[in-house]
Amino acid sequence: MTAAPAIEYVDASLWRSAVSAAVERGAEFDGLYAAHTEHGPAVRLALRQGAARRLLSARATDSRLETVVDLLPAAEWDEREARDTHSVRFDGHEPLRPLVAHPADRATWVTPVEGPDVHEVAVGPIHAGVIESGHFRFHVVGERVLHLDLRLFYKHRGLELAAEGLTLAAGLPVAQRACAACAVANTVAYAQAAESLLGLEPDEDLRRSRTVLLELERLYNHLHDLSALCAGIGFDPGTMTFAALKERAQRLNERVGGHRFLFGTVRVGEGILSVDDATAADARRELESLGREAADAWRTLTFMAAAEDRFRGVGFLSQEDAERWGAAGPVARASGVHRDARTDDPGLLWYPGLQPARPEQPSGDVAARAEVRAVELEHTCIMVSGLLAAPPGPGRALPARDPGALGVGRVESPRGATVCCVEAAGDHITRMHLRTGSYANWPVLARVVPGAILPDFPLINKSFELCYACVDR
Amino acid sequence: MFVLLKRLQQLRRTVALPAPARPGSLALRHVDCGSCNGCEHELTNAAGPHYDLERYGLSIVASPRHADVLLITGTVTTRMAGPLTAAYAAMPEPRLVAALGDCALGVGVIGDPDQLAGPVEDLFPVDIRVPGCPPAPATIAEALLGALELVRGPLREDAR
Repeated sequence: MTAAPAIEYVDASLWRSAVSAAVERGAEFDGLYAAHTEHGPAVRLALRQGAARRLLSARATDSRLETVVDLLPAAEWDEREARDTHSVRFDGHEPLRPLVAHPADRATWVTPVEGPDVHEVAVGPIHAGVIESGHFRFHVVGERVLHLDLRLFYKHRGLELAAEGLTLAAGLPVAQRACAACAVANTVAYAQAAESLLGLEPDEDLRRSRTVLLELERLYNHLHDLSALCAGIGFDPGTMTFAALKERAQRLNERVGGHRFLFGTVRVGEGILSVDDATAADARRELESLGREAADAWRTLTFMAAAEDRFRGVGFLSQEDAERWGAAGPVARASGVHRDARTDDPGLLWYPGLQPARPEQPSGDVAARAEVRAVELEHTCIMVSGLLAAPPGPGRALPARDPGALGVGRVESPRGATVCCVEAAGDHITRMHLRTGSYANWPVLARVVPGAILPDFPLINKSFELCYACVDR
Repeated sequence: MFVLLKRLQQLRRTVALPAPARPGSLALRHVDCGSCNGCEHELTNAAGPHYDLERYGLSIVASPRHADVLLITGTVTTRMAGPLTAAYAAMPEPRLVAALGDCALGVGVIGDPDQLAGPVEDLFPVDIRVPGCPPAPATIAEALLGALELVRGPLREDAR
């Protein structure tokens, strides 16, 4: 049983030394956000040491606090967001460019890149295909990218603010609305946070049934990503083959969970997934067939010289950088960083004996990121099939300890670890913060692209395949 | 590669999509104005092998300047209202506007009202409504086939 997390209040003057001490002891970064309190804005820092969770907090006196971005480079976007949403100035984080806010003056958010022949290529917010909205500004010389400025949050709907004041049960649809493709991961993270706040622990059935849902989500997402990667090199037979498999996976979602994106399958404190034996048997046949056909199509792709030429060595992310910048999910694993919330943190779900997928060569390029997904797909099909051999009941969460005022949930979405922090007064949310795998990986993408040629950007981008919706919220 | 093509061919035979009833075509331009990405996934699926919009003359084009139909997804955030208006203004007339999904139709919207400018109807007249959260690819395909009929009808005489 995990202990209930509690907020550890740190004096603002000791903030940096407290964070520094935690980092030296090997604590890993799980997100930073600001909250309004009766004493003004406060900054929260979620850390994890093994399975133990910590949430440090410091008051931002006069809306100022020392930065920790040099100690935790992965906190760059988090601090920028806290400045924009809660007006906290982070001293020492220079320049603290706007992230969520969209000031009209371009000098505030565009990095100055100067020199002979340097010019800018602006893309978006409306893209050429069926793609979410966001703006990229490439600084290039010829075809070579020198720097990439990302401007997301065009889709900012203020979901976290909308959740404040709602009951814990009513907050779940808000977390679900953040992103369709990560709906299960986001809602399970939310439900775990709400349950830990309420002092509940899921029983075995609930752990198993949530694991089924999470893995079904991973399945159609990875199929989608492989389809998108084929589209990135203009290989239509691959695009369409994986797209057809993805359509079948989504139809399977509908048969098993009642919705093509599994909306409405997760609740706080209880499960509702109930799979009868006939559906489970049908699902197991389909999973076996999907796994086999995906593996076949992947094998075909690995024997294609054209794919090899485009995938290999492109968009390189070293293991050191992946670790330092806080890369998550398949992106991290493709660079040899074996971060996977399913094995770091298996307690509240059902992953006995899982080994995170690793590519033969963790080469940190497009090829490795594609391979991680192809391997994980097979594991996922086997895992879900195994779980459905004896279909779990819906299950429920049972009282395990006294309720608190803070809950943290953490699951591995198809794009990496997703952390949800919920603070509440009684049954009402005072702050909900969702930090998804995409949020962790967007700044990493911006750092990987420089050095590549501009025509490789769509391919590198697809090898990350990040959501805009669950970042913008 | 030929293995994949052969399998796709087999899939096409199994799916056995009906032949287009009448010739015609529409160029579609999609703009995401604050969706959860569900509508985008389903629109992409509608263009995939199981539904294959393109065989009915429905193609997704890169620029609003080439488009007959503006497919709008999402709640329309304040930040996307400007780019959306620009895309609409860039379209040649006659043009159609489709609100794809419940958010674009203003149904069950979640968010901070200060960040939202939608629904689509508050910005432009909507010709095609595709409800659903998100609408299934079959629903999207059906609605767009209906749009083909719409173009054959009044829009031709009465361009707006």
